[in-house]
Amino acid sequence: MLSAAVFAPLVGAVVVLLLRRAAAATQRWTAVGLAAVPLVLLLAAWARFDGTGSFELVESLPWIPSLGVSYKVGVDGISLVLAVMSALLFVASAAYPVDVKERGHEYFAWVLFLECVSLGVFLALDLFLFYVFFDLSLVGMYFLIGVWGHGEARRAALKFFIYTLAGSLVMLLAILGLYLATDPLTFDMPTLIAEQPLAGSGLVGTLVFFGFAFGLGVKTPLVPVHTWLPPAHVDAPAPASAILAGVLLKLGTYGFIRIMLQMMTEQFVRFAFPLAVVAVVSIVYGALVALGQPNLKRRIAYTSVNHMGYTILGIAAAAAAIGAGDERAQALALTGATVEMVAHGLITGALFLLSGSFWQRGGSYEIADYGGLAGRAPLLTGAFLVAAFASLGLPGLAGFVAEFQIFVGAFAVYPVLAGIGLLGILVTAALFLQLLQRLFLGDLPRRWSSWRDLDRVETTVLASLLFFVVAIGVYPRWLLTPIESAARAIMGT
Amino acid sequence: MSALAAVALPLLAGPALWAVGARRARRQVGGAAAAALAATLLLAVVAAVDASTWALEWGAGLRLTLSAVGVAGPVAVLVAAVGATVVAYASVHEDDPGLARLLGLLVAFVGVMQLLVLAADLLTLLIAWELSAALSWALIGSNWANGGDVSRAAHAFNVTRAGSLGLVLAAGAAFAGSGSLEYTALDGLDAGLLAVVAGGLLVAAASKSAQVPFSPWLYSAMAGPTPVSALLHSATMVAAGAYALVRLGEPLSAVGWFGPTVVAVGLTTAVAGGVLALTESHGKRILAASTSAQYGLMFVAVGVGASAAAAAHLVAHGLFKSLLFLAVGVGIHATGTADVRSWRLRRRLPRVAAAAGIGSLALAAVPPLGAAWTKEQITAAALAAGPFVGGLALFAGLLSAAYAARLYVLSFGGPPRTGAAPPAGRVPTVEIGAVAVLAAGSVALGALWLPGGRGVVEALTGTRVAHGAAWEFVVSLALVATGLVWGRALATDTERSAGGLPAWMRRVTADWYRIPTASRRLVADPALALAAGLARFDDVVIDAPARSLATIGVRAANVLPRFDDAVVDGAVRGAVRLGRALSRLLGWWVERGVDGVVAALAAATGRIGDLSRLGDDRGVDRTVEGIARSVGVAGRRSRALQSGLAHRYYVIAVVGLAALFVAAAAGR
Repeated sequence: MLSAAVFAPLVGAVVVLLLRRAAAATQRWTAVGLAAVPLVLLLAAWARFDGTGSFELVESLPWIPSLGVSYKVGVDGISLVLAVMSALLFVASAAYPVDVKERGHEYFAWVLFLECVSLGVFLALDLFLFYVFFDLSLVGMYFLIGVWGHGEARRAALKFFIYTLAGSLVMLLAILGLYLATDPLTFDMPTLIAEQPLAGSGLVGTLVFFGFAFGLGVKTPLVPVHTWLPPAHVDAPAPASAILAGVLLKLGTYGFIRIMLQMMTEQFVRFAFPLAVVAVVSIVYGALVALGQPNLKRRIAYTSVNHMGYTILGIAAAAAAIGAGDERAQALALTGATVEMVAHGLITGALFLLSGSFWQRGGSYEIADYGGLAGRAPLLTGAFLVAAFASLGLPGLAGFVAEFQIFVGAFAVYPVLAGIGLLGILVTAALFLQLLQRLFLGDLPRRWSSWRDLDRVETTVLASLLFFVVAIGVYPRWLLTPIESAARAIMGT
Repeated sequence: MSALAAVALPLLAGPALWAVGARRARRQVGGAAAAALAATLLLAVVAAVDASTWALEWGAGLRLTLSAVGVAGPVAVLVAAVGATVVAYASVHEDDPGLARLLGLLVAFVGVMQLLVLAADLLTLLIAWELSAALSWALIGSNWANGGDVSRAAHAFNVTRAGSLGLVLAAGAAFAGSGSLEYTALDGLDAGLLAVVAGGLLVAAASKSAQVPFSPWLYSAMAGPTPVSALLHSATMVAAGAYALVRLGEPLSAVGWFGPTVVAVGLTTAVAGGVLALTESHGKRILAASTSAQYGLMFVAVGVGASAAAAAHLVAHGLFKSLLFLAVGVGIHATGTADVRSWRLRRRLPRVAAAAGIGSLALAAVPPLGAAWTKEQITAAALAAGPFVGGLALFAGLLSAAYAARLYVLSFGGPPRTGAAPPAGRVPTVEIGAVAVLAAGSVALGALWLPGGRGVVEALTGTRVAHGAAWEFVVSLALVATGLVWGRALATDTERSAGGLPAWMRRVTADWYRIPTASRRLVADPALALAAGLARFDDVVIDAPARSLATIGVRAANVLPRFDDAVVDGAVRGAVRLGRALSRLLGWWVERGVDGVVAALAAATGRIGDLSRLGDDRGVDRTVEGIARSVGVAGRRSRALQSGLAHRYYVIAVVGLAALFVAAAAGR
């Protein structure tokens, strides 16, 4: 079932490629239907998921036995919810209106290809397979930005590719280092988790750990290796931005949990504090730089740096407390980190899709070009308002649940860092209020006097994303239950 | 269950009203809104009588709990009662475009406040706390097309949100110490963590209740329509700070500095706000300054351990302050100005003036009104705590009487002898009814003076109310009388620009003692400048290593081939033998594994080279293009390397993994 979820989009990509001469609408809705297949399959998987704490619904095939490589997929609570969120976001992104430049079949094929590899990363239980999917995600995103972007799209795409490829090459070395320490040699993730191959290995363990930290940190991204993110977002088509922020960034933070926290627990415990410091720097710095951005997409992009900082703070706090006796706080922090990934995916996905609606109508991302749209476009205003308030962590919406868990959990471990990190929440509030004010309130510039409100497709897509933002915010238990089952298992409680 | 219903009904009814109300007649929307809150009032009463509780499990360690036990019950009733009255008033007082939105938000706001009042754990409290800030943002910015109003709404939100971070810290400390967020868990907390809870709660409460130095946000909140002010200042939002202290003050009194600090904040605000109220001539601003001052008195009460007196005063204040706001709103509507120096409306609006008179006497704390009883309890408790605290509390009482008298005489007093008789204005019955209901409430609260009053308050709050000495009461009343006379004199003294303190004092107090200017210069402007600076820094400096690496990469790509031929090739020939041996030693898997990696890399980088050439026709950055092309060259070279030149292959294999193996050797 999981394999079908991974590869259905790949088949779908081929199908869409064959629709070269079909009408644009046919291409789009075929792609949306195909993109929804994994969502349905993953929801079915959720229904069969027991939350035992170990990997479930495992499917495996020998692949390169001589190297200890196998094809193996399966889920725990964390990867399950991330995969479902990703699948939902892919459906939303495929459906969202965008200028496909007469090459719809290719565009949708790349979107479906990206869906395949992204789900592959979350579901892979073999480190080699993980890496293959991880790296292929770059290729898909490279083409989406480079071909369908605007502005200096090719340059942004290339910077994105080279920067993140550098990150993943360092990670490859780290993977090899981890792999070489196993006996017998294996890439099998459950085995790696159980064996902790680099426990007590001194310098090697440290080097491998930092290799992962750099490689995954670029992807996340953490300050100071985040500068590929803003240009990639600004010049990408909006749905690609939504996927990039909503799904691809999570590949990094997911790796922090699955690989670094689980397979290199000893090293993570040792280096949790510096990592938490980097996370807090990302939180505060990301928020402040976002506040200083006059460009809508750059501003949202930097809030991603801020939000991924929350996630890493939660993971680091969880790691630091391992063996320290406060299991409740650490499980809370780790759960919060995962909820933050889901929440950020939905919220920032929605925000980037909304910025696409601005581009389609106004041809500009400059905040100063807009104003007073609340009267002309109540739906656009409402959707943006909900997404912005969710992003700044208002209770009743998904971001609050995540951030509350992270900060309350982290306080037990790093009270001072948690306190400093709270400043990020304050700055985020200020920057979103200012943004709402400048885009929607005050006087309507004359040039927008015939501004169109959201159409039916846009409204439906955003409503479905924001529905889950509200559902998580009001009653998160359905989401927390699977995540907690995994967090408890990881924390050994 | 009734506790849940008292919260859920307005929370659901509010958005529904907004959604369906826009196309309905004023009477229907207003009726529905008032009915929803009347039902909420009923539910609140039931919840208070039943001492209803309710809980919802969110996840491990996260449990939302509601409880109408103790002081929560009566305050919930007050919130619903004031809310219903204010909403009824709003439904006839406010202009129609946006009326459904305004009423919907007001109803939802009452629901959020019910949640806050009935909360029995820090998570629920924080949820309500932040939601009330967001809703007040929307309410204050009701007139969203006016950029100035919206900025003031943002000011209010940002200040109160800064304070609410204190609650997050408090929750973190409580959870770290007890693994629980329930109020009851605070009792067992160790001293250090309890101090964090106390500090966090104090900051949160002070910001919400507009205490110094957070007070000016309440002036910004004046941008909202009158009913919004009436609700914000009396039973919701601002009340939340003092209420939270009342609710949680007991366990926190174990923290040594907590009580004295709360007292200091409260006294400072009570005196500063009182003086400010005497110098203002904008009707709503006089009331806003007095709100800060009155909550200051409640802070004093909590700080000296008289939570019951604070709770009682909170209820009394809720009634008379909403009354005064609504009355002033009628006056603004009738005169077209908020400057009360030109009002003197008693002849034009006799019934409203009568109600405002009752509200003013309550604000001045004149017996037998209930507000006088509650204020005297606070004064008595303050005097019991020491002469300095008691003296300042008495002085704050004198100020209250003075600004109450001055406000009343200026706004609703009889016309000056020289004034021409103005035409009579017609005030809608619902507005008259609303102020009448609130005035009746203020009068009814006078029952507190009856023999059983003290017992009722003690039973409801679960804490003792101190007995003050008779001479203290006499002194306090004398000061109130002095205040009344002084305030009336200030109002009628035409020499001093028709009322108010001397000009130099007005200069000192102007704009909340210039706190907004100071906070803008010290906090907001530097933060914005820092943000702008960091944004540039990020583009220019943080991105620089990546850019310079790219440049170095380009240069190196041009130099390396020569270097490779001349130096490396020779130098590594020896190493090759070592490498070969090492490789053999480590088995055939390295060969296969690295082979695959090298091939994949070569293919990938070659692809980039090709791609960048395709895209180089215009505008592609030369640096990035250069690196891609040279990597492409390198890619093709490395492909060539694999075709037969085995020794080079081993060089790459060794160089690629040497670091790891050395490290492995060192580490094992």
